[in-house]
Amino acid sequence: MTDTDLDRLIACPTCDLLHEVAPVEPGYKARCRRCHTVLIAPRRQSMDVAIALAVTTTVLMIGAVSFPFLSMSQSGLQKSTSILGMVAIFDHGLMIVAGAFVAMMVIALPLVRALALIYTLLPLRLGRKPAPGAKRVFLFAQWLLPWAMTEIFIVGTMVALVKLMGLASVSFGPAFWLYCILVVVVAFKDASVCKWSTWKLLNQSAAA
Amino acid sequence: MVDMETSEPIRRGLTARQAGLVGCVRCGTVHRRGTKECRTCGARLHSRDRMSLQHVWAWWFAGLFVYIPANLLPMLRTEILGRTVDSTIIGGVIEFIAHGDYFVGIVVLLASVAIPVGKFIAVAYLALSVQFGLKIRKHRRHVLFEVVEFIGRWSMVDVFVVALTAALVQLGFVISIVPGLGAVCFALSVAFTMLSAQSFDTRAIWDRIEEQDQT
Repeated sequence: MTDTDLDRLIACPTCDLLHEVAPVEPGYKARCRRCHTVLIAPRRQSMDVAIALAVTTTVLMIGAVSFPFLSMSQSGLQKSTSILGMVAIFDHGLMIVAGAFVAMMVIALPLVRALALIYTLLPLRLGRKPAPGAKRVFLFAQWLLPWAMTEIFIVGTMVALVKLMGLASVSFGPAFWLYCILVVVVAFKDASVCKWSTWKLLNQSAAA
Repeated sequence: MVDMETSEPIRRGLTARQAGLVGCVRCGTVHRRGTKECRTCGARLHSRDRMSLQHVWAWWFAGLFVYIPANLLPMLRTEILGRTVDSTIIGGVIEFIAHGDYFVGIVVLLASVAIPVGKFIAVAYLALSVQFGLKIRKHRRHVLFEVVEFIGRWSMVDVFVVALTAALVQLGFVISIVPGLGAVCFALSVAFTMLSAQSFDTRAIWDRIEEQDQT
């Protein structure tokens, strides 16, 4: 069998079962027969949507780290914090390790994933050849997926709020609302990218 | 149109390995056996990753190793009017429940105790069952893995709660809260167990299920 013959097949990344690649209508999903992993899920105007949402994510993240996130007041004393202030709490010795984790999972990795998507898709959208190292960047962004924890951070915020509400009055800063929107935008961005279609496009435009 | 040669393995429901081929775990592209690198995405190819289980166990032990101090060292250190109180994970949960804060208590208990402990057991069970071919009911092993992969990262919730609490509760002499070393150990433990689950070659789980079906 030649590579062209093999390109008619797709092996499920989760369970290795072979399938024949069939054209999938935008908006539909092709799943593995055996383990139901999504294999191909093209979207209409997928690239425009993905790029737009990735840019939105970047802007929202810049806003979310610039403004106050939460503030607390009790008996005339007040304390407000930004997301960066929360990272800065881990300021000495081994604590810096925990600070680095929080900074990566809440700020850096969601941003890196958005920028990686723009880097991969924008040249393709403009009909150019893929950017240097685009494949590696796209692969890395896929690997990072479980490490970007925007939704988990918002749930953590809710728990902290419930915990602190008994202690003092807590109010929301603009960064809180920006981050809530960001969680939703990131979810839509991730759902708008079909890995299989993107890999095919990356290869076609590299060969062209 | 697909010619006979490529449609045959699909009709018989074969895996890439059974058909003498190699599938890429990153993008699904199919290659001839012996190919080193995926022609589509450039990832390294393994028919089955033999190193996979060793990596799973290495990260598993690293995760367990730091999970112990995560429970013994304080997660939070509270200073109220000059008095210092350390609270561990379990100590914190007991305090919340005692104060009637059932919601926070149960979330912390789930995220910091139930999920990590469940994940250690589930990953060990899966790894051992792949290694020794233990019998498990069909699909149960895979459902278990999906739960581990999907749920595991939610343990991080507690670290975020600690960070926010410490950042906000800084009211000078009255009350201030700083994170403890337990938080560092806990964050590391979550990261290590995530790496353990990510190292798992899920295809090996399905190979076992296949073998059981045939007997």
